[in-house]
Amino acid sequence: MQQTDIHQFLNEFFTEYQCPVTNISATSMVVQLTPEMDKALMNRPFYWHYIEKMGGLPSPMQLTFETSFEETQKSKTSEMVHYGSPRLHQLFSFALKQGKFGHYYEDIHLKTGAIPLKPWICLNGKLTYQCHRKKEHFFSIALSLITGEMLNNFHSLVEHWPMKQTISSLCFPLSPLIKPASGIQRIKNHLLTTLHQENHSWAEEANLKIKEEIRLLEQFYIDVDPKPDSYEREKEAIQTQYDPVIQLNIINGGLFYLNSHPLNTNEKTP
Amino acid sequence: MLPKIQIDQQWERDFLQTLEQPLSCSTWQQYCMAVRIGRENIISEFQGLESPNHLPNLTFHSYQYETAQKAIEEMNGKAILADEVGLGKTIEAGLILKEYMIRGLVQKVLILAPASLVTQWCMELNEKFYIPAIEQRKNPQWEAIDVMVTSIDTAKRENHSEVIKQINYDMVIIDEAHRLKNKKTKNYQFVRDIKRKFCLLLTATPVQNKLSELFHLISLLKPGYLGDEETFSRYYGEVEKHEELKELIQKVMIRNRRHETKMKWPKRIVETIPVRFKEDQKKVYENICLLKEQLKHDSSSMQAGFLVLTLQREMCSSREAVFVTLKNTLEKQSIASTDLSQEISQIVSSLNDLSSHPKAEKVLELIQQWKEDEKVVIFTEYRATQLYLQWFLAQNGIRSVPFRGGFKRSKKDWMKQLFKNQVQVLIATEAGGEGINLQFCHRIINYDLPWNPMRIEQRIGRIHRLGQESDVYIYHLAVEDTIEDHIIQLLYKKIGLFEGVVGELDQILEKFGDRSIQEHISSIFSQSDSKGEMKVKMDHLTSIMFDQEKDGSSHAAN
Repeated sequence: MQQTDIHQFLNEFFTEYQCPVTNISATSMVVQLTPEMDKALMNRPFYWHYIEKMGGLPSPMQLTFETSFEETQKSKTSEMVHYGSPRLHQLFSFALKQGKFGHYYEDIHLKTGAIPLKPWICLNGKLTYQCHRKKEHFFSIALSLITGEMLNNFHSLVEHWPMKQTISSLCFPLSPLIKPASGIQRIKNHLLTTLHQENHSWAEEANLKIKEEIRLLEQFYIDVDPKPDSYEREKEAIQTQYDPVIQLNIINGGLFYLNSHPLNTNEKTP
Repeated sequence: MLPKIQIDQQWERDFLQTLEQPLSCSTWQQYCMAVRIGRENIISEFQGLESPNHLPNLTFHSYQYETAQKAIEEMNGKAILADEVGLGKTIEAGLILKEYMIRGLVQKVLILAPASLVTQWCMELNEKFYIPAIEQRKNPQWEAIDVMVTSIDTAKRENHSEVIKQINYDMVIIDEAHRLKNKKTKNYQFVRDIKRKFCLLLTATPVQNKLSELFHLISLLKPGYLGDEETFSRYYGEVEKHEELKELIQKVMIRNRRHETKMKWPKRIVETIPVRFKEDQKKVYENICLLKEQLKHDSSSMQAGFLVLTLQREMCSSREAVFVTLKNTLEKQSIASTDLSQEISQIVSSLNDLSSHPKAEKVLELIQQWKEDEKVVIFTEYRATQLYLQWFLAQNGIRSVPFRGGFKRSKKDWMKQLFKNQVQVLIATEAGGEGINLQFCHRIINYDLPWNPMRIEQRIGRIHRLGQESDVYIYHLAVEDTIEDHIIQLLYKKIGLFEGVVGELDQILEKFGDRSIQEHISSIFSQSDSKGEMKVKMDHLTSIMFDQEKDGSSHAAN
């Protein structure tokens, strides 16, 4: 993320969460928090407890953010936000928490006819390959709950589509033939199948490292009998350090009712 | 082979529940924002460092970056970071820790630093690395706090250590780890008992005296890596195995040296200043030398030799130091002959009338030559000298603050603060020297010289380190015609230690095998009967160090 991306993100974030953004320049902005956002971000429970108990007039904080490293018009009260700053990561985790579950209808305006919307279920998430090192792989997979068709990169296909939380007039949703729960299961099974086909030499290397280090450890304690506590402890530590494991985590996901097929955005059913 | 797989089931349960009230779901914008963030934060490679992207306000030297990468990728997060003093080991450790934390491999961290450095560690981690490190307080919450910084002395106390040993740490970082060179100490055993996945040991002097110290450090990291102790000392005792050993060590230890870093370092300007005893002082010094013969009848020659040696060194520092030792000797050791105790008492009383020490006068002279705000750190081996110097300088209108290992952390911080902002002189004893960073000061006076060259390096490293912008001046004071003179002449000048010319000090030290340099020197001084004998032995000692160092090249020059 570049500094300009961060600037844009801050603007979008606070606008989305109803905090007025003012005095916006290319490298700074002033944000007036709402009481909800103040509670979520500013970590001052005593203040809010007091205001609520006493029935006082709350005054949520105003924050000034800087996104440029240039030492220009910086004031003492402004906060520098960059990719590693704790504030940005606080906003990230807030946004991740708020954006976990989706339920959307394609926003369609046609004059006539009853327009059927077909249900899809989508999972966005990551596969984490972890031993003493770690790498991640992002996936976005959707399944048609009518036909069972599965699509990769679903989110990229639809992210610029107009979506609404309520259904447009003249549209009607088709009932899923596949239940959402089994849809999710199918996607997970698909992921497991791909995992089975992948090359996991990294995990084999990690297991070799475990063997090698335990061999050294045994040598170290070869003449010691019975083995001291430290032997067991160190053995366990080696195991946990290198132990290879794959985690499947969901970032978010949603139920989508779409009129058009995601791969063919031009095609419109009458 | 497919490793085990853990599948997140929680999201699914929550989602299916949320579907019953579709309007409670996220807005489309919120949903898209979450995907974007999730995708943005994916780390798609095992290799490489992510942390620099998170730390745009820091610039790393290439050797620091490479060190962090090597420690993670090649050493699997178990490493000894052994850069020379002042190259920024803390920065390297911070970079490594940050990388592991970003990748979510490390959460629970324990950092053990000398008490004087705890606050500084916390500040650096918080301000430079945005790692929420917390300093241990009166009632430390070992379990609740993720990144805790404390001193070994605090952590090993029984009430704390019992709790600490129960915790599964992801990473343990130990600063000034050479303190753990002795496996019999409580510190060593305590550290060995902490459960940990990754471990960093930081020390500028991995080998202080003996190779076996390194064995114990490495065995903390990777037990068995160098075999067990017996095999190690038998196998690597032979010189021809040293190459092999070196290769092994390089797989767990990273040592950057100043001259290898390709950076422009401020110069070290070294000056040895000889001073002369006045007549009365010279007389006392000679009387002390004479004690040796007399003492021999009284106790073993070894003991006598050491006592006199100590007194000689102390006389070169201050009469106060001599006084303390003599008084203790009279009180504690039962001295059989009354002649001898009378002799000692006489020396004690002659101390009373001595004029001020020529070194103290020299220090004053130096300071008065400089600008008024020119800071200086004075190192001495003796507490008595420390007090004397403080008094002596005060008599002459110069304010100074003391610094000792025994000070509480808050007092150390306070003294350092005073020195930085208000006082011109800081007088430190040996133990106090470790770990304080005084880049704002450019001058060091070695009031007396330690016999362990590594300790000199530690002293100079207090000011000659990253962040020092001007050249560094180092002054040695040595009294002519005394043992100090010998040390300067025969040892330090030849090693070229102070200029950092040789710089391969640890390698020189390795050649001495199991006996340390101090031990060699002490035994030469205490057991030689004449100056001539002493000189021959010292020459021999330095030639061993020097010739092996220069290898064949010196022969070619001849």
